[in-house]
Amino acid sequence: MKHLTLVATASVAALATSIAHAEPLRIGIIESLSGAQTSTGRLYANAVKYGVDRINEAGGFNGEPVVVTEYDNAGGAPEAADKFRQAVADGVDIIVQGASSAIAGQLTEDVRKHNIRNPGDEILFMNLGGEAMELTGDKCQFYHFRFTTTAPMRVNALTSAMKEAGDLGTKVYAINQNYSWGQDMQAAIEAAAPEEGYEVVGEVLHDVNKIQDFAPFVARIKSAAPDTVITGNWSNDLLLLMKATGDAGLDVTFATAFLDQPGNIANAGKTALGHYIANNYDNAAGDGTFAETYRQATGHLPIFVEGHSAFAMAQLQEALKGLDFAGGPINVTEIALALENSTYDSPVGPISIRKEDHQSIRPVVVSKVVENPKFPAEGTTLGFAPVKIVEGKDAIYPVQESCEMDRPEG
Amino acid sequence: MMSFRSVLLLATLLALLLAVPPLLDLAWQNALVNVLIASLFALAFNLLVGQAGLLSFGHAAYFGVGAFAALHLMIAIEDGLAFPTPLVPLAGAVVGLVVGLVAGFFATKRSGVYFALVTLAIAELIHALAPRLEGLFGGESGIGSMRMPFAGIVFGSTIEVYYLTLGWVLFCGLGLYLYTLTPFGRLTLALRDNEQRVRFLGYDAHSSKVIVFAISGMVSGVAGSLLAISNETANYSLFATDVSAQVVLQTFVGGSTVFFGPVIGAAIFALFSFLVSDLTRSWVFYQGLIFVLVMLYAPTGIGGAIQHHIRHRRQLDWPALAAPYAAMLFGGLLVAAGIVFATEMVAVMFGEDYARTREAAGGALIPFELFGATWSPTGPSTYLIPLVLLGAGIAILVKVRRRIDAVWAARGEQGSKTQTLATTGGIQ
Repeated sequence: MKHLTLVATASVAALATSIAHAEPLRIGIIESLSGAQTSTGRLYANAVKYGVDRINEAGGFNGEPVVVTEYDNAGGAPEAADKFRQAVADGVDIIVQGASSAIAGQLTEDVRKHNIRNPGDEILFMNLGGEAMELTGDKCQFYHFRFTTTAPMRVNALTSAMKEAGDLGTKVYAINQNYSWGQDMQAAIEAAAPEEGYEVVGEVLHDVNKIQDFAPFVARIKSAAPDTVITGNWSNDLLLLMKATGDAGLDVTFATAFLDQPGNIANAGKTALGHYIANNYDNAAGDGTFAETYRQATGHLPIFVEGHSAFAMAQLQEALKGLDFAGGPINVTEIALALENSTYDSPVGPISIRKEDHQSIRPVVVSKVVENPKFPAEGTTLGFAPVKIVEGKDAIYPVQESCEMDRPEG
Repeated sequence: MMSFRSVLLLATLLALLLAVPPLLDLAWQNALVNVLIASLFALAFNLLVGQAGLLSFGHAAYFGVGAFAALHLMIAIEDGLAFPTPLVPLAGAVVGLVVGLVAGFFATKRSGVYFALVTLAIAELIHALAPRLEGLFGGESGIGSMRMPFAGIVFGSTIEVYYLTLGWVLFCGLGLYLYTLTPFGRLTLALRDNEQRVRFLGYDAHSSKVIVFAISGMVSGVAGSLLAISNETANYSLFATDVSAQVVLQTFVGGSTVFFGPVIGAAIFALFSFLVSDLTRSWVFYQGLIFVLVMLYAPTGIGGAIQHHIRHRRQLDWPALAAPYAAMLFGGLLVAAGIVFATEMVAVMFGEDYARTREAAGGALIPFELFGATWSPTGPSTYLIPLVLLGAGIAILVKVRRRIDAVWAARGEQGSKTQTLATTGGIQ
C-alpha cells in the first residue's frame, strides 16, 4: 500500500511538472538518411535544422524551443509510412520531407488519413522537394504545403530567360526520365512551345538511373539538330548525358533543373560551360547575406536544396510569429491557416502560398555555367552566374483542375 | 505430434500476443504489426526454401502483387462495394496464388542457381514494368486507399490493425504448419532431399513444385495485403530487390531448417530496424554483419541452434555449460561493443559533419563527441579502447569455445552418438 501511495504521489508530481512546462512544437524530419539518396536527404535535414535553430534563437515557440527529430526512411515509401507512425507516437506536429516525390506521395496520404481520424490532433506536412504535379493535383489537401517549384515553373522560367538572352534558338529537344517527374517535364516543354516560339523537334523518355551509355540517345539528338536540349534529368542520368554529348562533339545548350547537384559541375568540367539551370535559389543571385549567415552557422555555403529548404523554415517562422497558444496545446490547423497567409522575403524575392492548392508562389532563378563566377563549385573554377530571376507571379502556373481541397470548417 | 509442454508454451505466447499490445504505445504496436507481417512473409518464403529446397531471390513479386490486389479491393470497398474489410487479404491470397502459379510454372522448370535466377528475373520484370502501368500500380507515388469500417469496427487505430494482422498471421501460420503434416507436405520435403527419387516413385515432380511455389506465393500475397492494410498505400518499390533480399536474410538468420525459425529471424530484423534505425545511420551495416556472423558460426540459424539444444537437453551437462555460456555472452558483448565503437568512430571521422568542422578549423584533426565523451583523433585511447574490447572479446570467445566443445563432446558418452562435433561448431 505504501508503495502504491508512492507511485501515486510520483505520478501526480510528474503531471504537475508537465503542466508547468509548455507544450513544445515538434518537427519530424522523415528523410532518406541511409540508402542511395542519403546525400540529398542529408542536405534537407541540415537546412531544416538550420531553420529551426533560427526559430529557437529568436525565442522558440509557445514558450519552449522547437524540438526536431530525425527519422530515417531509408529511401522507401513503406519505411516512410512506418516512420510516420513512429512520429505520430512521438507527438510530432509538423513533418518535413524533400528527397523523393514517391515518399512525399506516401506521407501526404498518411497525413490526410491521420487528420481525418484524429480531429483536433492534426499533423502538417511541409513538402520541401517532392515536385510531382499530383501532390498539388489529385492528391492535394489542406495540410500539405509545397515549398519548391514544379516542372512548368522551371521550364517556363528557363525558356523565357534563355529566349531573352538569345540562347534558346527555335528547335528544342526534350530528353527526360520515364517517371512522373520526367513526364511532367516533357508535358511542360510541349506546353511552353507556342508562347516562347520554339518547336519540339524530338522527345524521349528513358529508364531512370539505369543507362550507362547515352551515345544512342545523343545520336538521336544529333539527327534532330536542336539548338537547346531541355532535360529534367538528375544524378548520373544528367552527368552521363552531358558527357556523351561532349564526347560526340555536339554543340547544344543544355537547359537543366538539377545541374547544381553537388559534384555535377566538378565531374562535367568544361563540358558544362554555357549550360543553363532553373532552380529555387543560387548564392550568386542573392546579396550574399543569407549565404554568409548560413556559412557561419553550418560551416559551409548553402548548396543544392539547402537554400530553399531554409527559406521554408523561415516562412514557418513568419507564420508562427502571428500565433500565440499561451503555452497551451499546439493547434496545427491554426498554424496551417497562418502559413497560408504568410509571406517570406527570401534573398531572391517574396514567397507566398496559393490557397487553392498550397503550392508556393515563388521566384525561379535562371543561371548559366561560367568560368570564374562569384561562388565557384567545389574544387573548380566553374560556377553559376544568374541570368534572370523570374518573379513568383510570372513563374506560377494555373491551379490544376484535379485539385479539390477540403478546408477545415469555421 | 506436439507435447503437452509445447502446447502450453504456445498458449502462453498467444496470450501474451493478445494481452500485451494494448498496454504498449503506438510506436511499439506498429513495430509488432511489422514483426507479424515479416514473420508470415518469412514463413511463406521458407515453405519454398526450407521445405522444398528452392531458393527464390524474387519473393518480393508475390508480396507486392498481394499488396496491390488488397489495395484495389480496398478502393472498391471505399467506392461502395459490400465486402468485409477483415477479409481483404483474400484478394492478396488469390492474386498471389495466380501469379505464383504462372511464375512457378516457368521457374520450377529449372533448379538450383538457375531457379534462383529465374525468380530474380521475374521479380525484376515486374519491378521494371510496374512504374509504367500507372492505372494498376499508380506510378512512383503508388496507389492509396482507406480502411473502411466493418461491423462496428472502425479499423482506424493501430491496435485494431494489430489484431486483424495477428488473426491472419496465426491462421496462415497454423495452416502452413498443418501443411507440413499432410502427405503433400512430406512430398515437399522429399522434393528437397531427392527429386529424382520422387519422380521414380511416380509423382510429377514439376507439377508438385509448381503447387508448392503457388502456395508460397499465396501466403506471401496475404502478407503483402496485410502490409497494404496497415500502410493503406503501396508503390512499386515493394517489388525492389531489397524486399526480396530482406526475407532471405531473415529466413536464414532465423534458421530455414526449423519450421518457426524464420519467425525468429523476422522478429529480430523487424525489431532491430525499429530500435536501431534512428539511433545510428550504420544500422544496415550491423544488420549485414549479423547475417554474416550467423552464417559463419551458426549455419543452421538461430532457430537451428535452439533446436539443437532442445534436442540434446537431456544429454547435456547443463551446470558445466552455464559458466562457459555466461563467459561466451560476456565475450560476445565485448566484441559487439568493440565493433560498435569502431564503426561509429569511423562514421563520425569520415562523415560530412566532421569534414565541415575540420574545414572550419583549418583542416586540424580536432576532437569529436561520441557516446557522451570527447575523443581525440590522434589520442591513443580512441584506438586502444575498441582494439582492447575486440581483442579481449575474441580471446574469451576462442578459449570458451574449446570448453563448450568439450562439454558437448562429453554428452556422447551418456546418450546419443548421432550428432557429431561438426555441428557443435554451429552453436556459438
